[in-house]
Amino acid sequence: MDKSFLGAMEAITGTIHENKEFLTDLDRAIGDADHGHNMARGFHAVMEKLRASPPADLSTGLKTTAMTLISTVGGASGPLYGTAFLRCAKVMQGKDSIDKTDAVQLLGESLDGIESRGKAQPGDKTMIDALKPAYDTFAAASEQNRTFLECLEEACKAAEEGVNYTKTIAARKGRASYLGERSIGHQDPGATSVMLILKALTEYYKSL
Amino acid sequence: MVGLVIVSHSAKLAEGVAEIAAQMAGRELKLVAAGGLQNGGVGTDAVRISNAIAQADSGDGVVILADLGSAILSAQTALEFLEEPARERVRIADAPIVEGAVSAAIQATIGSPLGEVADAAEQARTLRKL
Amino acid sequence: MRQVMLTLTNPAGLHARPAAELVKAAARFKSRIVLEGNGKKADAKSIILVLGLGLRQNDSITIRADGEDEEAAVQMLAELVKQRFHE
Repeated sequence: MDKSFLGAMEAITGTIHENKEFLTDLDRAIGDADHGHNMARGFHAVMEKLRASPPADLSTGLKTTAMTLISTVGGASGPLYGTAFLRCAKVMQGKDSIDKTDAVQLLGESLDGIESRGKAQPGDKTMIDALKPAYDTFAAASEQNRTFLECLEEACKAAEEGVNYTKTIAARKGRASYLGERSIGHQDPGATSVMLILKALTEYYKSL
Repeated sequence: MVGLVIVSHSAKLAEGVAEIAAQMAGRELKLVAAGGLQNGGVGTDAVRISNAIAQADSGDGVVILADLGSAILSAQTALEFLEEPARERVRIADAPIVEGAVSAAIQATIGSPLGEVADAAEQARTLRKL
Repeated sequence: MRQVMLTLTNPAGLHARPAAELVKAAARFKSRIVLEGNGKKADAKSIILVLGLGLRQNDSITIRADGEDEEAAVQMLAELVKQRFHE
């Protein structure tokens, strides 16, 4: 299999590792102070598995990623990210590279998976508030025949704006929803990790 | 006989709840604890839960009792790993974990069907302690 | 239809373990079995309903069975109450 999948996963793992304390601090303000550590534990376990037995193809690699996150993250982000990666594994069945159309489908399926698993909607102050604008923007940019990199960069910008938007709204899902209005002013850790992952992928793509 | 799976962020808590429920139930009851992470840490693991469901299911179905937050998400995710018709006969009970497990265990022991065992768990919230 | 009225003498009343014993015993019979006490009625084969009676020590309880094995059912459940659920 193409080395770029392992490279991309390493880039994500590196970003999550660097932002472990940052994500946990964000979660401390409105959640249970474990998002960064949970995500780091999960992605490190993913890398260990992928390195120990390199997957035969993209779909298998994504499935290994999904199952490992599901069983090692421990918090809500495990099943949520796990479901997203499972959906991605399905999209990539029988394919060995990702073009723009695939990327639109990957983002769309991830969004759908997370929405249906977490029963969250835009404006609930969750991962969705970064992922949905990223998907919408990527899809629109792809329609306008922008390059893969331009699509990615615009999607990242949209995700960042989404993260900023989560500062202005009250949480309606997860532990943070117990705080209600008091969660306003804090950015959502889940939306932040979505944004960080997209950024890591974009930087990695640029470096190729 | 309907089986039970106890899901908790803590392996010890899941085992403890199973211990209390087992004491009230019959020996034949399949009662499987699925708590914590593989490395011994606190959290829930959908793969572990899915294996527990398979272990608890003797064909009559399984009721899952779960603690908080992501325990429910993980239990729902675990269902995705099951094949039909096994998935169809699993109920995640919206119930307090200890009281729900005890009542479901007793109801399952006397051979009640899946719906009644799940109801016994969910209605446990109506019992007053004082 | 057969019925018997007794007083709960065991200290815990119809609490979790005694209730579980009673429900498990009731489930062995085909008859419909109803417990009555504290102004409430409960299907003796439902743990939640039995616990919901909230019966305590010295409360009175009526056991009523209706069906082909009603006599044996009432006799056995009454015995369980009299034996104070083997506490």
